[in-house]
Amino acid sequence: MKARIIEKDDVLKIVDLLREKYDVIAPFLITGRDTYFDTVTDSNRKDIKLHLPNPFYPPKRYVFPHIERLMRIKSNNNNIDIIVESDVKPLAIFGIRSCDLAGIGHLDRFYLGNAYRDCYYEARRKKLFLVNMVCTEVGVDITDDCFCLCTDTGPAAKELFDLQLMDLGKVYLVVAGTQLGEEFLSNPMFKHATEKDIELRRQILSEVRKSFKDTTSWFSATVRYISRGSVLEETWEEIGRRCLECGGCTYVCPACTCFTVTDRKIGDGEIERMRIWDSCALGGFTRMAGGFNPRKAVHDRRNRRFYRKLAHYFIQRELSMACVGCGRCAAVCHGDVGMPSVVEMIRRATAKLDAK
Amino acid sequence: MNEVENPYLPKIAILDRVVDEIKDVRTFYWHFEDQNEQLKFKNFLPGQFAQISVFGIGEFPASLPPSPTEEETFFTIRTVGSCTDAFHKMKAGEKFAVRGPYGNGFKMDSYAGKNLIFVAGGIGLIPLRSCIIYALENRQKYERIQIFYGSRTPAELMYTNDLKKWGQSAGIECYLTVDRATDGWKGNVGVVGSLFKKPNVQMAIKNSIAFVCGPPVMFRFVIKDLLEMGFNEEDIVSTLERYMKCGIGKCGHCCIGSAYVCVDGPVFTYKQIKKLGEDI
Ligand SMILES: Cc1cc2nc3c(=O)[nH]c(=O)nc-3n(C[C@H](O)[C@H](O)[C@H](O)COP(=O)(O)OP(=O)(O)OC[C@H]3O[C@@H](n4cnc5c(N)ncnc54)[C@H](O)[C@@H]3O)c2cc1C
Ligand code: SF4
Ligand code: FES
Repeated sequence: MKARIIEKDDVLKIVDLLREKYDVIAPFLITGRDTYFDTVTDSNRKDIKLHLPNPFYPPKRYVFPHIERLMRIKSNNNNIDIIVESDVKPLAIFGIRSCDLAGIGHLDRFYLGNAYRDCYYEARRKKLFLVNMVCTEVGVDITDDCFCLCTDTGPAAKELFDLQLMDLGKVYLVVAGTQLGEEFLSNPMFKHATEKDIELRRQILSEVRKSFKDTTSWFSATVRYISRGSVLEETWEEIGRRCLECGGCTYVCPACTCFTVTDRKIGDGEIERMRIWDSCALGGFTRMAGGFNPRKAVHDRRNRRFYRKLAHYFIQRELSMACVGCGRCAAVCHGDVGMPSVVEMIRRATAKLDAK
Repeated sequence: MNEVENPYLPKIAILDRVVDEIKDVRTFYWHFEDQNEQLKFKNFLPGQFAQISVFGIGEFPASLPPSPTEEETFFTIRTVGSCTDAFHKMKAGEKFAVRGPYGNGFKMDSYAGKNLIFVAGGIGLIPLRSCIIYALENRQKYERIQIFYGSRTPAELMYTNDLKKWGQSAGIECYLTVDRATDGWKGNVGVVGSLFKKPNVQMAIKNSIAFVCGPPVMFRFVIKDLLEMGFNEEDIVSTLERYMKCGIGKCGHCCIGSAYVCVDGPVFTYKQIKKLGEDI
């Protein structure tokens, strides 16, 4: 792997270079916890922030849009034309965190693996250039909700990035993870990294790892309990009681994949078929014709969500849990039943039982 | 997007004719506009399903009641909501669209040498019709073939032409029942399970596969009866119905337990269904 350094003042030159070939997405700060990803323009370029709390609305939407047209259907006089348009432009995400990168890895295995390939996801994914930013500033990049240490997805990604940036104090260390990334590093603005830089990276990371608040989420125990079905009904009920069914956890999750499909009229004799993110937390998600709903109670739906994310069966199928430790669900949940709390509730209640 | 196949793209189909089946249920004969699509589609297995598009309203899953050995392709649909209502309003010659076939289907070949017991309630006969016709077309592969079919009233028995044929053919035992006798019904009255114990019925239990499809209540009672009679849980097969949007394992709507019903099912053994852990 090639490693280079770039002066701090020059780091946005990476964005400029990328903008020659890509539309570039980067993180911005409004104030405090209020942060967001947006397209870089000439006027907002100077406001790009690399150290900031990870935006709640995940960059997942750039590969799997919140709302996306699948096709247009034109009909007149019993003549039906189905039109599929693809106008996907090359896109680069500058400053994507390691957890969100792991989320994209999960989406890759899910949408492109199994029996069918999702061509809409694939078209976007193929044209995506990823510049990962390693989280190093405790209290800024790394918040109390982050638990990527427990999911083994951060704070420094090991794969999936084209380039990885890490703040070494005076300079940024830039590492290439793909052929495309290596080619990028041949630009003269990057200087060779020394052994000392690499050693500094190691030191900083080992310090950063010690500063996580949550390092002991008991995923492995909880995965075992959920997989063998030994979680008590009353634990699920307690989790269900606290869930307000707002769906927030699923909309901020970088690893959630569910969607619904709907047709809507756009003109005379013309409709478009759209897909829209959907949430298993919502009551209508599984309701069937005749009103029969196999997941009537809230706690059944909560059970379903965590089973889907953590059961051994799916981990084997997708080679990872469907949780990447970003902590967003913990931060947005009104009832404190985000992933870390649920893992802890299940572990505590079930371990007590195990001990008997 | 032409280089990769688009699994969401439905293919244009033309409605040939519509036949009333029972109240709110009609059978729609159709074919693909493109002859090649028709040929590709005809490789489906009994128990698989397709996604029907009624443009402007949406898409919905429907079983394939024909056997792949039959000439014509058709759906049998009950009106329950927006898509199915719109589909019922379609007339011969009009166009809609279909994609599929999807799902695992019944492993008919692996049942060779066994007795096939079909137990259906109401429109549960729709997915089983495909297996029954397929089994009859390959009659020498199987031992006894028994059909137990029940509906609420005689007027609600489906596929009456088929039922008549099955009732008269040697080599099939076909038993019918209704919950309420009307219209001068002379046959059995009672739930489907009541047929199993009739003196004229000799149920094949050893070396048998039981196909069970019908409303949830019927399903529960029939399973109980079959287990008591000595059927193994893995020798009882059924299809699960779940809310489905994509049919190809991506949208997540049909996910239960460790299964995405659209790709891992809709056919499951009772043993698997029990493990999935949600209501039928
Ligand atoms: C594998 C499979 C095979 C099926 N085979 C047949 C068949 O051969 N014949 C037949 O008549 N029906 C069949 N169904 C049921 C049929 O798909 C639903 O009746 C239909 O989707 C209802 O759509 P709608 O737009 O008319 O109803 P809507 O107006 O959407 O809704 C009415 C009610 O149906 C529910 N619903 C909506 N979409 C679905 C859906 N995709 N599946 C289940 N419930 C839904 C809604 O939540 C609501 O409660 C099958 C379902 C599955 C999963
Ligand atoms: S979960 Fe880890 S990788 Fe994600 S923002 Fe927090 S520290 Fe960074
Ligand atoms: S119907 Fe979409 S995943 Fe099964």
